[in-house]
Amino acid sequence: MTGRPLYIAWALLVALSLGSAALSGAGVWAQWPVAAGVAVMLLAWQKARIILAQYLGLSEAPRWRRGFDMGLTALCILMLGLYLAPLVV
Amino acid sequence: MASKTALEELPGEVLMWILIVSEVLVFGAGLVVFLSVRITDPIGFANAQDMLDRTGAGINTIVLITSGLLAALAGRLRHAGARAQARLALVAAALLGVVFLWIKGAEFAAKAAQGIAWDTHAFFNFYFMLTGFHAAHVAAGVVLLLLVAWRDHVDNIEDASAFWHMVDLIWVLLFPVIYLLQ
Repeated sequence: MTGRPLYIAWALLVALSLGSAALSGAGVWAQWPVAAGVAVMLLAWQKARIILAQYLGLSEAPRWRRGFDMGLTALCILMLGLYLAPLVV
Repeated sequence: MASKTALEELPGEVLMWILIVSEVLVFGAGLVVFLSVRITDPIGFANAQDMLDRTGAGINTIVLITSGLLAALAGRLRHAGARAQARLALVAAALLGVVFLWIKGAEFAAKAAQGIAWDTHAFFNFYFMLTGFHAAHVAAGVVLLLLVAWRDHVDNIEDASAFWHMVDLIWVLLFPVIYLLQ
């Protein structure tokens, strides 16, 4: 049994989570709210894709993976747009 | 050899995937409504969000991700016939679920001690509803993981693990929106 892809997925998830934590400082948001918001949502999107592909096994089902990726991307773009709305209105 | 149909290509049970999609849509809708209401009072939402424990929630992210790894490994171990190791991985995954709930409980208790309730501000309405509903899924997942550690058929472990990864998936979307987007 080899769990290598799972360990790699876990390490990536931890690294991306630490990236999110690094962005949680208030100073970042005061100076670059748009960039910080985009970065946080990008990290969340990538973490969700890794969970779908490796933990839930969609890496073995490329057609389904593409479908889930599209749905997930649409949700993340919608949420990012709603986050950014007060900054531009 | 005939190529697989789309349904045959999908890993695990179709019904479990319907549940996963349904749950992501429900939580996704909740987060979209949360962000829509935030537009009406971004400063109030930011002030309320500053009262959250981002460190605890960040630790909980690592806890759930690690628990997910153990649940995924349990399936592979069971496939390989290593039943005792698979059971151990499932129990360890469940214990990490309990750690998540303990940290979440401490967070809710701290809010109560500060006099913060669901009706303190619209932000907390969504915060308690979404994170509380997610915590209920974590509790259900812990029970499922322990059940399949006991009744360790391969299919049982796959289904319980898929449920657990769904809980993980929802958290990685919920955490940044509720705790981080300032």
